[in-house]
Amino acid sequence: MEGQALTDALDGLRQEVRQWLADNAPHGWRERSSSEAAFLQIQRDWFAKLVEGGYAVPHWPAQWPGGGRSLAEQKILYEELARADTPRLLLSFMSTYHAACTLFEWASEEQQALLIPRILAGEIWCQGFSEPNAGSDLANVRTRAERVGDHYVVNGQKLWSTMGQFADKCLLLVRTSNDGPKQAGLTYLLLDLKAPGVIARPIHQIHGDEEFAELFLDNVEIPVSDRLGEEGQGWAVAQSTLSSERGLTLLELSARLRGALWRLGELIRAQGRQDDQGIVRDFGRLSAKVDATCAVADQFLANRIAGIERVGDASIVKLSYSRTLRDFTSLGIRLGGIDAQYHSPITFGGGMETGNWMADFMNSYAWTIAGGSDEVQRNIIAERLVGMPREPKSWTLKEGAA
Amino acid sequence: MTMTRAEVQDAADKAFGQSELAPDAAQSWALIAEMGWLMMGVPEELGGLGLGREATGVIHQGVGKALVPGPVLAQMLTIEALAAADDLPERDALIADAMAGEVMTASLAGGLDGADRLTCVPDADTASHVLHVTDDRVALVPAEQVSVTYREGWDKSHRLFDVVLEGPGLTLARGDAARALADRIEALRLFCLAGDSLGGAEAALAMTVAYLETRQQFDRPLALFQALKHRVADMRTQLTAADALFWSRAQQADADIIALGALKALACAVYRLVAEEAIQLHGGIGLTMEHPCHLFLKRAMLNGALGGDADHWDERTGRAALEAAA
Ligand SMILES: Cc1cc2nc3c(=O)[nH]c(=O)nc-3n(C[C@H](O)[C@H](O)[C@H](O)COP(=O)(O)OP(=O)(O)OC[C@H]3O[C@@H](n4cnc5c(N)ncnc54)[C@H](O)[C@@H]3O)c2cc1C
Repeated sequence: MEGQALTDALDGLRQEVRQWLADNAPHGWRERSSSEAAFLQIQRDWFAKLVEGGYAVPHWPAQWPGGGRSLAEQKILYEELARADTPRLLLSFMSTYHAACTLFEWASEEQQALLIPRILAGEIWCQGFSEPNAGSDLANVRTRAERVGDHYVVNGQKLWSTMGQFADKCLLLVRTSNDGPKQAGLTYLLLDLKAPGVIARPIHQIHGDEEFAELFLDNVEIPVSDRLGEEGQGWAVAQSTLSSERGLTLLELSARLRGALWRLGELIRAQGRQDDQGIVRDFGRLSAKVDATCAVADQFLANRIAGIERVGDASIVKLSYSRTLRDFTSLGIRLGGIDAQYHSPITFGGGMETGNWMADFMNSYAWTIAGGSDEVQRNIIAERLVGMPREPKSWTLKEGAA
Repeated sequence: MTMTRAEVQDAADKAFGQSELAPDAAQSWALIAEMGWLMMGVPEELGGLGLGREATGVIHQGVGKALVPGPVLAQMLTIEALAAADDLPERDALIADAMAGEVMTASLAGGLDGADRLTCVPDADTASHVLHVTDDRVALVPAEQVSVTYREGWDKSHRLFDVVLEGPGLTLARGDAARALADRIEALRLFCLAGDSLGGAEAALAMTVAYLETRQQFDRPLALFQALKHRVADMRTQLTAADALFWSRAQQADADIIALGALKALACAVYRLVAEEAIQLHGGIGLTMEHPCHLFLKRAMLNGALGGDADHWDERTGRAALEAAA
């Protein structure tokens, strides 16, 4: 399709989605989402509805229900979802992006046939990469997996697993060997969180929400058939998950950011600051940044589809997004004045759209820290894209230092 | 004065320097009263210590550093107003009570309060009196004549209330005297908010540096990364400059509202920068309730909004600077 025909088709889709949202978008979720149980219910219901409408996973390949949408179509969908003020799918986000996209790349046909439909049916995944001593230095993972016959026996602790306390399954990075470079001893397993020996303990985040959890694994058995890639190939598989987290998810998130700019516009008018040049300029600058973030996410995906994605491209997308989101929520607080300093009940499941600016602002740190912090992205960009030398690997510490 | 500043500093370090962050509210309040901190700015003839702005600055930096909860700033604003009310018969008794720690509170929001509504009034539920400042009258309204509503804030180190006045209270000043007093109160509020912010920034920076020195990633302490060292150096530079301005303003008895507003806006910007960087440089742990990082961030954000935000003061400062540069 070209030119006018394409534009017409996209306009048609926008109308179709808008109509569907008018009939199906949940109402009053913000008010109702202040309890965990209500949050879970709203999220599950909304996900199921989107699956039914064919709008839950537009980024999946065409052979799966709801998949095969073009980039332009996906964007329209996300913008309309934001405009209709629907809750972000926090609960199933990891399942439909991190898990699914890793599975598409690495899982066998049998594994895919088994696991992908369950995601559509509402199975929740979380990501178990980080550990107390493996944060930015992800290769330092120490959770140990010992092969015994046709299964692995796993022992260790995982930290900051988003939605870990609600999840059914976990993308698990473990150590199967201590020989050679750290990365070479890693293996990627799919953990059933209902298995004996798994304990999830929620952790309180600073905005009051329990969004992530730590996982304790005590002699947990994982069948060898639940491994992605070969033993020792975990680092490469993990890069797929991270690339999805840093790049692919951002098409949705940046389009939602653009779709949510009206929230700030409304606030500027409500505060009578439409003639305040400082505010108007900053809002203008922010809108341009949001557009640039959307554009760089689009470009990333186009390159990925064309097979010319470079290592590090995803880092640019993530770094643009995290900084723009910080500016976005900061402007909200600035406009909110003293009111933004008051605590209103936490709305789970919002990104920059909870209607609670301080919570959104604090939550924006999730994006500058999680999924590889801004500093780590900068290192990747400088070293992998710009070609600057890497930091020396070994350091000589003075006796007694640290 | 320099001598005194050092002495007060020493006392402040002893009182809150060793204790943990965000100490117990009731105990802190008792300690503050016991140490005579509420008497600092009160003239000697009224039973105070007659120390100037510098001593007040030390106290508020100390309070900010330890994230001490409670109404100390609001109390000092009220005491300042009482000290000026020289034809109020019961003044001496009221000052004595206030200096001894009986809570008398005031709005921290800034600007002139509305006719009968005040916002951001700390500990109004336990206060015997609330200060009310308008354009032509400054009054002290007893608890029986106010109704208070708690407003839960993000910063849990302040318990803030909306207050509705239901009676006239005692007049402390009227007309020109009231206008002059309103300015003095505002000046004090801005100066103290700046002090609290700089103290908090100092503590948050120290905490972050200590963390970078111990936390290991990639087989080395984070402090070995130049990218992080430079961030620390930037913070140190901005904080030192703002702190220098703070002490310079503390010595200028005639520093006007705009000069103090500019100071407050700068101090709060530095506090926010340091608090944000503290979270970022702590990584995941900085984003949890278990770690104190967020306490600094929430107080920094509140301080930024109290007493007029940066938009308000930057604009006034810009206009004043433009006039001065003409
Ligand atoms: C909200 C949230 C959700 C998360 N969800 C998940 C999840 O679902 N699954 C999961 O596995 N993990 C998750 N994480 C963990 C996240 O990936 C880590 O927090 C992150 O990688 C940083 O690691 P760290 O917390 O150990 O910080 P550290 O690695 O200790 O970093 C501390 C600071 O040092 C900086 N730093 C580190 N190394 C360098 C360097 N080489 N050069 C310059 N600066 C450096 C960092 O950028 C940071 O500012 C989540 C974290 C958060 C905050």
